[in-house]
Amino acid sequence: MTRAEFNYDFPHQRLVSITDLNPLDVDILFERAEHWLSVCRTPSKKADALRGLTQINLFFEPSTRTQASFAIAGKRLGADVVNFSAASSSTSKGETLLDTVRTLSAMNPDLLVVRHKACGAAKFISDATGIAVVNAGDGMNEHPTQALLDAFTLTQRLGPLGGRRILIVGDILHSRVARSGVQLLNILGAQVRLCAPSTLLPLDADRWGADVFHDLDDALEGCDAVMALRLQRERMAAGYIPSSREYFRFYGLTHQRMETAHPEALVLHPGPMNRGVEIDGALADDEERSLILDQVEAGVAMRMAVLEAIGTLARSNEARR
Amino acid sequence: MSERFAILNARLVDPASGRDEAGGLIVEHGVITELGQAVKGSRLVDDGFDGEMIDARGAILAPALIDLRAAIEPAWTPGGETLDSLVAAASAGGIGTLVLAPNDAMALDTPETLRAFKSEFRPRPIRLHLAGGATRDLAGETMAEIGLMTEVGALYVSQGDNAIADTRVLRNLLSYASGFETFVALRPCDATLGAGAIATESEWAARLGLAAEPSITERLAIDRAAALAELTGGKLIIDRVSTDEGCTALARARRRGLEIGATAAIAHLTLNDVDAADLSASKRITPPLRGEEDRLALVEAIRSGLIDAIVSDHRPLPDATQDQPFGDAAPGSIGVESLLGALLGLVHDSQLDLIEALRPVTSGPADLLGLKQGRLEAGAPADMAIIDGDAPWVFHAADSHSNRRNAIFEGRRFQGQVLKLFVNGAMVFTSDN
Repeated sequence: MTRAEFNYDFPHQRLVSITDLNPLDVDILFERAEHWLSVCRTPSKKADALRGLTQINLFFEPSTRTQASFAIAGKRLGADVVNFSAASSSTSKGETLLDTVRTLSAMNPDLLVVRHKACGAAKFISDATGIAVVNAGDGMNEHPTQALLDAFTLTQRLGPLGGRRILIVGDILHSRVARSGVQLLNILGAQVRLCAPSTLLPLDADRWGADVFHDLDDALEGCDAVMALRLQRERMAAGYIPSSREYFRFYGLTHQRMETAHPEALVLHPGPMNRGVEIDGALADDEERSLILDQVEAGVAMRMAVLEAIGTLARSNEARR
Repeated sequence: MSERFAILNARLVDPASGRDEAGGLIVEHGVITELGQAVKGSRLVDDGFDGEMIDARGAILAPALIDLRAAIEPAWTPGGETLDSLVAAASAGGIGTLVLAPNDAMALDTPETLRAFKSEFRPRPIRLHLAGGATRDLAGETMAEIGLMTEVGALYVSQGDNAIADTRVLRNLLSYASGFETFVALRPCDATLGAGAIATESEWAARLGLAAEPSITERLAIDRAAALAELTGGKLIIDRVSTDEGCTALARARRRGLEIGATAAIAHLTLNDVDAADLSASKRITPPLRGEEDRLALVEAIRSGLIDAIVSDHRPLPDATQDQPFGDAAPGSIGVESLLGALLGLVHDSQLDLIEALRPVTSGPADLLGLKQGRLEAGAPADMAIIDGDAPWVFHAADSHSNRRNAIFEGRRFQGQVLKLFVNGAMVFTSDN
């Protein structure tokens, strides 16, 4: 049964975790993202879906691309967007997180886009304020809009992801992108693979609905797409891997390595990239294979879709009150 | 050596199969092709065998020895052990496969170092392998490039004599190495409990006022490492078990089905702390000599198969580090040339039978690390030693092929000597000349 055959609207007042979504919700977001993607490619990108609503981007962790992506998405939908970043925030003056968000909520924003280093922060803020929250990354837990935009980008090129073999390679252990990504790809029926050195894989990763590999060449076999995750330098200092050259030798994506994958296999990276660590520069720049810039473009469209769905609901809830 | 030869009238002793019988053996192109009672000179003559026939005159024909732990000194050390002197000593000791393992003087902790060493191995008559340093400078803090070293050919990685104090480092090390199917060899010691110890806590050590560690140090270390190996799926070698407590902990870990290998050093199987009572520098080794009950437990662990390999723990040291009081002397002893003699001493004393004694220097280490040699069977590489099991001799470091003199077995009477050593079908040592 498709959504057209019965009446179903996006029901969620917040987006904290991919587990909140069912396949129909994802369908709706993909449909709207596709719409916004085409709008964004025209000279008149402005819409008024969120006109009159106030969106606060509450980033307690430094971010350039995600914050910009959410700000542009909100502005294109007509919302009033305010950026609140940790460096200038009152939490750096000793205020508790709870007091900060209560203060901001007294200003009656309609949407909060939250990034915080603590796992569960987005849910905490949403529960504490009752405001519609979009999780833009909470610790190592989740980054749902990244998962959505990645899957959407792939869908644009491959069609439905059901049965497609998709590999995520890199620091799975510390990655909120991977945690959200695996869940979403499972919802979409993809065949998910994970590959990393043992130190960067959670012990129970094989129970996530993914096949686990330590050898990248084995993992790449027959893959339709592969996503390299960013390897943070502090992981080396913390002793998870010995050196970046060893990491690149065994886990770096290169054209040569990609030969074991499907001949037209695609490459993704959530950014920011370390060229020559998790991905070879030449592969990242290969327009035939690399979707890295497509991901960034799709990111704005997908965030417009998410903000629109949640903002519309927030507006109608307020009207009802 | 011709491409085809036979050794006849031998006592074939093969721990891998349990074979101990009179017979002969045929080698073609470096590989054993046939062996057993049926291989006799008369038959070969009838068959028109055109290769050389070597008469063993009833001597033992066993697999060449495999020694998983020997050290070499840094190049250009004045008077130091060189690859040449080490290989000469090892082959005179019946060793056909020798692993150079890291220590504080030679951490072997980068793929570049390993590759440079390997480039010098090729013309040598015996099989040389390297174990890589598990952490940088063996400091137990930062993991070395285990993947690249494994790719360059490290047979396993080792932490040398050093403990890893940080449990998270140890966890990551075992976890990471498991991804490359690489064994991590750890001496069962504790960073703080054993710090500065030069002896084992005992009445003897107490009377002499030696800084000593309790033998439960080994138990603690083995329990800890085994628990982490279980958690991570890591492949662990307990490198030089030396106490009863250590054997008990090892047996406990094995019962849990863990893939844990273990070695023991020949000195701990044949000497005890009373041997060190003269406080001579040559008796100073790491781990320190233990009590007699520990030695007996080790012998039993060899008999039961709990310990996979016996190592020489060959460690050449400059004279200046040995012309010192016991407490100040550098620990370590040369050992490749005395390994077999000391081992056969356990056989002559009826503590082990010949097969039990030879297993941990042949098929034991070979099976642990997946080596093809270390056995007498058709299809195996012709790595073999002809041994006169009874020949009496006295070990003097001055007569040794090794360049160093720090020998824990100095002046020891042995019975059993290598007559000929073959590696890959080539005779690489003979006592004739």
